[in-house]
Amino acid sequence: MEFAISDLLNSLRHPPLIFHLAYSDTKARYKRSMLGPLWLTLGAAIGVVGLGLVWSQLLNQRRDQLIPSLTVGLLLWQFIAGCVTESTSVFVRQAQIIRNLRLPFFIHPIQLIARQTITLAHNLLVLIVVLMVYPQPVSWATLLCLPGLAIVLANLLWLSILLGIIGARFRDVEQIVQSLMPIIFFLTPVIYKAGHAGVNQAIIWMNPFTYFIALVREPIFGTIPDGFVYIVAIMMALIGWLVTLAMFNRHAPRLAFWV
Amino acid sequence: MASLIFDNVTVAYPIYNAHSQSLRNQLVRFGTGGRIGGGAGTIVTVTALDNVSFNLRSGDAVGLIGHNGAGKSTLLRTMAGIYSACAGRIRRTGSVATVFELGAGMDPELSGYENIMRMLLLMGLSKARAKANLPAIEDFSELGDFLALPVRTYSSGMTMRLMFAVATSIRPEILLIDEMFGTGDASFQQKAETRMHDWIASSDIFVFASHDLGLVKRLCNRLFRLEHGSIYEDDINLL
Repeated sequence: MEFAISDLLNSLRHPPLIFHLAYSDTKARYKRSMLGPLWLTLGAAIGVVGLGLVWSQLLNQRRDQLIPSLTVGLLLWQFIAGCVTESTSVFVRQAQIIRNLRLPFFIHPIQLIARQTITLAHNLLVLIVVLMVYPQPVSWATLLCLPGLAIVLANLLWLSILLGIIGARFRDVEQIVQSLMPIIFFLTPVIYKAGHAGVNQAIIWMNPFTYFIALVREPIFGTIPDGFVYIVAIMMALIGWLVTLAMFNRHAPRLAFWV
Repeated sequence: MASLIFDNVTVAYPIYNAHSQSLRNQLVRFGTGGRIGGGAGTIVTVTALDNVSFNLRSGDAVGLIGHNGAGKSTLLRTMAGIYSACAGRIRRTGSVATVFELGAGMDPELSGYENIMRMLLLMGLSKARAKANLPAIEDFSELGDFLALPVRTYSSGMTMRLMFAVATSIRPEILLIDEMFGTGDASFQQKAETRMHDWIASSDIFVFASHDLGLVKRLCNRLFRLEHGSIYEDDINLL
């Protein structure tokens, strides 16, 4: 474990670097477009409006109920799916840095999460507009979305590191994950809610992403998530980190040869 | 005091072809007990460094020569701590800066200025110190207004100027440079050589891989010859 832990601690000494990289990567991506990073916001807005109109008809639900919950769900899903799909190539994309500079490996997954968080922050604009159109009651329970988000981030970080290592060694993993994500989207209560009739509850709660969405979305709408949601998510984080650190410790010294 | 000690270091790395890097192949191999596809699962291993030992102290300027594929770049990367040894011990004290691949750590879409910041932060500087280094880099690279343009518009000589200026603007105790002077024009090569002379005079460790024997003789005081992953120290005065 020694190697993994010293790498992690070293990474935590580099926050300015990580945020600069995340920021300059986001900037570079939209450098030559007129709207710049606002394209992120616009893309999310189009998704919310389109899916909101279609699904409120299909599910026969009132728009003022469906659209706010769909917006939160969709923004969270884009964030989570963005982290997961990009994590398979998180080390491979940074091959040039890994093969030329001696830096802790953990900065790359942390940078990925930071970059996706920047995107999420841009997308919050959509949520604000939606909440102005369809106001929601706010209570103290709403604040619980923040610890919920922290648990989600802790889980996403180990998941990105693990997928990053596997993805560097086996290049098929990127394609596998990319083709699985759309299915997982429908198995995750993004459009509908976990308690809906006609949804197989066993499958829904087998899906780890259900917990991630529930931890953040339910408090926003004033419901406190069940205790077991917290327990499962925290257990996932603990076991996930243990497995990831052990795996990292074993394989990361060879990472420079793999990328 | 910087030092770099290699004690019987062996570096072997796997070459994954498309076959063994695919998960399907590993799964099929698992499912059939490893006998399918006539050695499709075997991974070719290249032993790039074989039992290498040496001892570098402050003041050593080492020229690294050897034909293509002799292991020069692998040795430099192992010295930097990027490649891990599979046997032997490496002891390194002192901060390290590297100039290996052209454009490493740069984002071609970002401007020269933004890339300078990016590279300095990658080299471990704080934002404030990176900003303080900016004028010196601007000056040394002589790129002028080009620094405001995206790096993708640069020629390889200009990229090299920028990289060299950034890498030598901080004063690491160990500087590792892979052959890279081919792309600079004559005046810049002259300038870079002068800067490296200053460097060596300030008694740090400097390792330079090159095919330019004249340059090696002018800059270095020790000479390592790499042959098939083994290292031989030659007398530099005989070069």
